[in-house]
Amino acid sequence: MAAITGVIPRPTSYAGIWGWMTTVDHKRIAVLYGVTAFILLLIGGLEAGVIRMQLASADNDLVGPGRFNQMFTMHATTMVFMVIMPLSVSFFNFVIPLAIGARDVAFPRLNALSFWIFLFGAILMNVSFLVNQVPDAGWFSYANLTEKPFSVNRGLDFWAIGLLVMGTSSVAGALNFVVTIINLRAPGMSMMRMPVFVWMTLITSILLVLAFPVITVGLIELVMDRNFGTHFFIPTEGGDPVLWQHLFWVFGHPEVYILILPPMGIVSEVLPTFSRKPLFGYPFIVFSGIVIGIMGWAVWSHHMFTVGLGPVANSVFTITTMLIAVPTGVKIFNWIGTLWRGSIEFSTSMMFALGFVALFIVGGLSGISHAVSPSDFQQQDTYYIVAHIHYVLFGGSIFGIFAGIYYWWPKITGKMLNETTGRLHFWLTFIGMNLTFFPMHFLGLNGMPRRIYTYSAEFGWENLNQVASIGYVVLFVGFLAFLFNVWQTRNSRKVGHDPWDAPGVEWSISSPPPPYNFAELPQIEGRDHYWIVKENAEAAGTPITGPEALVDESTIHMPSPSYWPIFTAVGVALIGGGLLSHYALSFVGGAIAMMGIVGWSNEPAAAPSEHH
Amino acid sequence: MQSSSKSNQPTGRRRSLKNRSVLFGLMAVLFLFAVGCSKDGQSTWEAFGPVAQKQLDLFNVILWVMVAVFIMVEGVLVYAIVRYRRRPGDAKPPQIHGNTTLEIVLTIIPTILVLGLGIWSVFTLFELENPPEDGPTPLQVNVTGHQWWFEFEYPDAGNGKKIITANEMRIPVDRPILISLESDDVIHSFWVPKLAGKLDMIPTHINEMWLQASRDKLEEDLPATLFGQCAEFCGLAHALMRFRVTVMEQDDFDSWAAGYGPPPAISDKAKKGKQLFAENCTLCHTIDGPDDPALSASRLTGFLTGGDITPVPAPNLTDLRTRQTLAAGITDLTESNLRAWLHNPEDIKPGNYMSERAVLYQNGSANLTDDEIDSLIGYLLDLR
Repeated sequence: MAAITGVIPRPTSYAGIWGWMTTVDHKRIAVLYGVTAFILLLIGGLEAGVIRMQLASADNDLVGPGRFNQMFTMHATTMVFMVIMPLSVSFFNFVIPLAIGARDVAFPRLNALSFWIFLFGAILMNVSFLVNQVPDAGWFSYANLTEKPFSVNRGLDFWAIGLLVMGTSSVAGALNFVVTIINLRAPGMSMMRMPVFVWMTLITSILLVLAFPVITVGLIELVMDRNFGTHFFIPTEGGDPVLWQHLFWVFGHPEVYILILPPMGIVSEVLPTFSRKPLFGYPFIVFSGIVIGIMGWAVWSHHMFTVGLGPVANSVFTITTMLIAVPTGVKIFNWIGTLWRGSIEFSTSMMFALGFVALFIVGGLSGISHAVSPSDFQQQDTYYIVAHIHYVLFGGSIFGIFAGIYYWWPKITGKMLNETTGRLHFWLTFIGMNLTFFPMHFLGLNGMPRRIYTYSAEFGWENLNQVASIGYVVLFVGFLAFLFNVWQTRNSRKVGHDPWDAPGVEWSISSPPPPYNFAELPQIEGRDHYWIVKENAEAAGTPITGPEALVDESTIHMPSPSYWPIFTAVGVALIGGGLLSHYALSFVGGAIAMMGIVGWSNEPAAAPSEHH
Repeated sequence: MQSSSKSNQPTGRRRSLKNRSVLFGLMAVLFLFAVGCSKDGQSTWEAFGPVAQKQLDLFNVILWVMVAVFIMVEGVLVYAIVRYRRRPGDAKPPQIHGNTTLEIVLTIIPTILVLGLGIWSVFTLFELENPPEDGPTPLQVNVTGHQWWFEFEYPDAGNGKKIITANEMRIPVDRPILISLESDDVIHSFWVPKLAGKLDMIPTHINEMWLQASRDKLEEDLPATLFGQCAEFCGLAHALMRFRVTVMEQDDFDSWAAGYGPPPAISDKAKKGKQLFAENCTLCHTIDGPDDPALSASRLTGFLTGGDITPVPAPNLTDLRTRQTLAAGITDLTESNLRAWLHNPEDIKPGNYMSERAVLYQNGSANLTDDEIDSLIGYLLDLR
């Protein structure tokens, strides 16, 4: 087999659909991640719409309990694993090599493999709708509700296997970025000169590599319980459903930081640029990120205060959770410090970044209130928690991601997003976000539990639910404004390489960047490299007016495209698909994946044209 | 609130801006609380017992600490945004990289604040662990969660009498209630917001808590009825898994306990109903006192084994006639509601196991005539 696979020449063309399917260019992979995640954002958003419409009035019967449970399960699963994570990864892909002055990631083909496995995993999970076996036990899927006889259809298998497949992608991607950031920094870029976004990517990637194995263990045990007669989580057979909760949250809490640290990194790039001031307290922001990354492992049981672990365990997790608020607060103070005495320009990107800070404060404060375990006994599993997570994941992560999209869009496409439409997008999103989620604090405190498909009018929850549902409509219109903005850019003019007068090294090259990124590896001058370079040039009387000159691509050796990542990913997806349909298919998938790996390792290092 | 306070229009001089934004923020917060908070039904803003009261007291402290921090930090943020907005002809601002003293101060202050809250929480946690030792003798109630209803067992409701009932927990006022929680199937959570925060009901784990209803906190005359609800997602009918807690005078509680027993079946209709019940319902429902543990175990085995027609654990109906609600607290117990329930439970509570497993309901609605249903109602509610 090796002989056969080894002689297939590498593809050479970047053109057409094959160009996209075989690409190993980090910038194109970033676009693939971004587009896929936005389609899934739309799906997850529509699922949220069903939830909001059902809850808009008391005793509503728009959808039944079965459909409703599927909606909140898939909404959260989609938003966490198939929207926010891949959107962050999209930024890792596009920005990291550029921001550290590298030509690509350390393992370009592995990068492509990560994307294709993610895509196929996401498709696999959503195929559950087509066969009407939809996961319906929540994104946390607490055992033993997930076990037979309580969940008899294949929904939970789709959920577990879909996540296992996507987990492979996440770990592979994360390893790639750890290696890239450690090894491929341009000369002069010491660790303490790395942009904060690079730091947050590094911490996030390390968290991913360590956290995913934990959920993988849990998921494999769940699949085994459901399909092969084991009983890890079946209490009547000697298993323990609480074990699942520990496994899930030992993963799940670092996961929360996996979702928020990258947008924190984005905001730490955007705020200084539009304040025309260096980031305030860079080392404190970096070290607080590291501290969060470490302490994030010691707080998981605050998701389990009502499990009955006892006052000693609850005390420990009360204190650790309280303490993790400190490094988060440090970040907020430093962001405000960056604005202080700055010269703030209200670009759309900056408005989203400021929105991030403003909303994250709310989410952080409600987070502190959860840490107070005795009062959390009242708020746990109510809408108060729903309000909290949406302030950190929507007000936080999504706002940070939009700040990043508006910020790097000119670098990615060479064109500007429309600022007027951008403002409309921002204000609709900001107002819609608060209309939707702020009332949920009160709903929770007024006693409304989460995950109920209907409620009785006698509880007085109807008005606030109506406000939240109206807020959803505003948010949806805001999202349409963003899509309209993207559509508008087809007519917008080309912009220069450095429209924001930004400090990052990625702004020194043309927009969009050439495939090789940097003709010559830059010598990094300091923390805000490009500001220093521009200032020095100005002082020398030769101000910089254009990007680094383009060179003949053929003089730079770049990794050639490859068939093997997508080929191997098909095999991995079929292994999962087989477990859901016919085991024989898993063996076919295994064989394809093996062949892919062998072909991969025997692949010539370069395309035929490049043999000299 | 954020939307308006974040506006970046130029506003007056520094001091007046600062004062106005603080005032505005405070007013907005108060306004939000005025419209947002209610004390209805399951609201946690009102406590009828010492446990809920302690939890609410603690929350109120954190709440106002949060509001204060919110106004301060958002205030500084908004001030910075407005004050330092770019104006035409602005020079490049001073390139400040940080201030170590400030960082240390701004690390120590929140650390003290959160540690203070944390330590207070820990003390409350241990304080609420057990009822005060010098109080009245506690009453033990064992609660079992089922998909999707609550079972209440009083090992000794008075004079050694054992009682098993469902979906309505009666408790004497001003007496600590020791509660042991367990589940028969999946994880549920026991929550009576007005009396205590929630605690999960986990199969094969026994969780213990206590609560108490205080006469001086209850604003209504006894008996008072409070709402409870399952708070951990437990499957299809999770939203319809509710219960009631009735707070009674000790004397009323005692007479309820003494009167606990099967419906007497005095009228002819009730006698016919009794026979129908024995023929059709007793596979799952017990009506002649507390369930026999062996029978309960075999019902549970039937349920976990699955299949189309198997016995399942079902609410004990011995004292149904003394209850206020039907179908795990989702509707009032009236003749017409009970008739609708017996006719087709699925209409009232989607997902319930009665429609799914009972022989009577295998063709959809009940395989009973209207007259037979009337007889059953006559028996269950002891109509004479």
